[in-house]
Amino acid sequence: MLGFIARRFLTAVVSVLLASVVVFSSLLAVPGDPAEAILGLNASPQALTALRHQLGLDRPAAARYLSWLGGIAHGDFGESLNYQRPVGRLIGGRLAVSIPLTLASALLACLIALPLGVLAALRRETLVDPLITAASQLGAAVPSFWLGLMLILFFAVRLHWLPAGGFAGWSVDPVRSLEQLALPVLALGLGQAAIITRMTRAAMIEVLDQDYVRTARAKGLAPRRVVGVHALRNAMVTIVTIFGLSLTNVFIGSIIIEQVFALPGMGRLVLTAIGARDFPLLQGEILVYATTIVGLSFLVDVAYGLLDPRIRYT
Amino acid sequence: MKRVLLVLAAISLVGTFALAADPPPRSGGTVTVAITADPPGWDPTASTSQEIARVMYHNVYEGLVRLDRQGKIVPALAKSWTVSPDGKTLTFQLRDGVTFHDGTPFTADDVVKTFQRAKDKNSGHTHPEYYASIDTIEAGPGNTVVFHLSEPNSSLLFNLARPDSIIYPPSEAATQRSHPIGTGPFEFASYVPGSEVVLVRNPQYYIPGEPYLDKVVFKIMPDPNTRFAALQAGDLDMIASSLPPEQYLQIEKGAVPGVKGTEGTATTEITLALNNARPPLNNKLVREAITMAIDKQAIVKGAMFGLGTVISTHMTPAEPYYINPDPYPYDPAKAKQLLAEAGYPNGFKIKFELPQPYPIERRTGEVIAQQLKQVGIDAQVSVVEWTTWLKRIFLGGDYDMTIIGHSEPRDIGIYGNPNYYFHYDNPVVQNLLRQAEAATSPAVQTADYQEVGRIIAEDAVNVWIFSPPYLVAARNDIYGFWTNQPTPAIDMTRVYRAP
Repeated sequence: MLGFIARRFLTAVVSVLLASVVVFSSLLAVPGDPAEAILGLNASPQALTALRHQLGLDRPAAARYLSWLGGIAHGDFGESLNYQRPVGRLIGGRLAVSIPLTLASALLACLIALPLGVLAALRRETLVDPLITAASQLGAAVPSFWLGLMLILFFAVRLHWLPAGGFAGWSVDPVRSLEQLALPVLALGLGQAAIITRMTRAAMIEVLDQDYVRTARAKGLAPRRVVGVHALRNAMVTIVTIFGLSLTNVFIGSIIIEQVFALPGMGRLVLTAIGARDFPLLQGEILVYATTIVGLSFLVDVAYGLLDPRIRYT
Repeated sequence: MKRVLLVLAAISLVGTFALAADPPPRSGGTVTVAITADPPGWDPTASTSQEIARVMYHNVYEGLVRLDRQGKIVPALAKSWTVSPDGKTLTFQLRDGVTFHDGTPFTADDVVKTFQRAKDKNSGHTHPEYYASIDTIEAGPGNTVVFHLSEPNSSLLFNLARPDSIIYPPSEAATQRSHPIGTGPFEFASYVPGSEVVLVRNPQYYIPGEPYLDKVVFKIMPDPNTRFAALQAGDLDMIASSLPPEQYLQIEKGAVPGVKGTEGTATTEITLALNNARPPLNNKLVREAITMAIDKQAIVKGAMFGLGTVISTHMTPAEPYYINPDPYPYDPAKAKQLLAEAGYPNGFKIKFELPQPYPIERRTGEVIAQQLKQVGIDAQVSVVEWTTWLKRIFLGGDYDMTIIGHSEPRDIGIYGNPNYYFHYDNPVVQNLLRQAEAATSPAVQTADYQEVGRIIAEDAVNVWIFSPPYLVAARNDIYGFWTNQPTPAIDMTRVYRAP
């Protein structure tokens, strides 16, 4: 088991390193540099040269990459060119929004989707299944930004129950911050729930058709026990994958939702960093994204191993 | 000129009447205003991002002079000024008893150092060329500052009213991007990236009783629909930039309870920019044909819901030398004929690139592509990300056709720069612009600029489509905000709330 985890961990670290190289080199290929983005329209060439030198952009790319990597090793992510603040602190502040948003959305999605998916799989012969399937298809087809706008119009503009956007900050006003996260969580979670419902249904149906379920039924076990113990536990491998996937999806999907709800999260920071060609900030962010995604799939891998001993040796 | 003055007088009269209907100002309260993005720091001299000027100009930072609501140059940190008869010496009488927000007094020495830095090409100031005519600056007797010019420059005073000419303690230039210190009515209190900027009342402000508000919060909200929803939900009090025309019309119709809208002038020319150096656009007949193929009135109606003024050269009604020569009015039949004359009887294919962040430009561009199709020109539309647009199109001049709003006031001088992205090189225009710059009489300057306006229209350098209005949405109890935008700034000095 330990060997399995160590192997997976090594793969994860290499993946993150590779991602950082890919990101760094692709940023070099993008037209426009931070000095141009900062100075904007009508800047004089002298001002551009001066700023490029000040930002250290006249150093060779490989040297910049290595000194950045060296900084990371010491926990120093460098300084944002656009904000002139430490990248680590900027990202930390954004994660305080993005992590709760992601976790709550993924949890909401699973809380809705798992029961519905199981129900649809069990009631295949009745009206329940096509109803749930239709609803989840609709949910998957609705873009999350549109759903977000509709939620704002209904709950904020019409009913005045919840704020339309923005984020007060946990230390400033925690209750208000929670209220401000409610609609984004709903917008992200509902869309994700639709997708997970369909996947859960498919996974359950596959398991329910297995011989051991038929055997369990034949020996007269209560239906609840058949589904809960024999079917659901075996479907768990698939469902854990789905949860891992949905965390990743929600983390990425929040880029748009943060824009709609004016939330100061990771996604908007990425957009600003791209627009401003803020390379140190962007590299730090991509590193966090890559680590999160690779980390999640590492955890899912480990969870597989625990759930299904056969996986360790494949 | 007389007519311009009359118009100005009329506008200020209307302004006075509107003011008379407003309740008397009262002090206190907070107003929350939307802005659209995080700018690169808060120093207006270190970036041309307009969000910086919107938040900072006049609120936190001030210059020697400024523009008033009608676009007239009026005193700010300078109480008054005189220009010598030869136009080569400007003397500014500074206000007494002004302090910076950090408590240090504002002195003539600060002014001298500020403009020595501004004109230094290696200082990182974004527009050293604005101050190129300044030879030396010195502190004079009795709290005055004297600018000695190498040649008369009629634009200098206007340049001194731009956000680029603000004055902060020169020793603290390096930290202004993150810790702004000015002399204005509001002090910079806090900034949470991606979330908000908070300004609080400056109790030491040199005009007694001003500002009225205790606090102004600028919320960073990138999405126009979110801004509008937040205004409707009561999370936001004012939208004073990038208000889409359709939202303004909803407010006008009274569809948003508790919110009012105003429509004023701005200095933006929505410009279909043509690469004058690249075939087939290097052929004047083709450029004329493109101009005549575009129905500007229909664009204002279709893309702007009727809000906006059709223009025909690089001038808006908000600028003092405004003219509307219109040498090539909409005439698609004539356009086809011109194309045939130019050797393109069946039209041609051309790349047309639209800047991603600007919805009005994108919308207008789509309509233009449709209109060009009517005369046989196949404009192949693509949307370009902003930094790429800046790099390749604007700075690199590598493009066929693009569209952008030139929002800087009085910027007709760009047509004198052959390296500018239009690739327009006309010595006559360059001479006239130099002459206008050196003119000591405003009448001569205006005549020169108008002549430039006529020549570039005649040469069909670009197609100037329309000037969008300045639209503001505000809660009903908010008064005193600017309804015109002579320069990008959301000046909150005299804004107040009264039930």
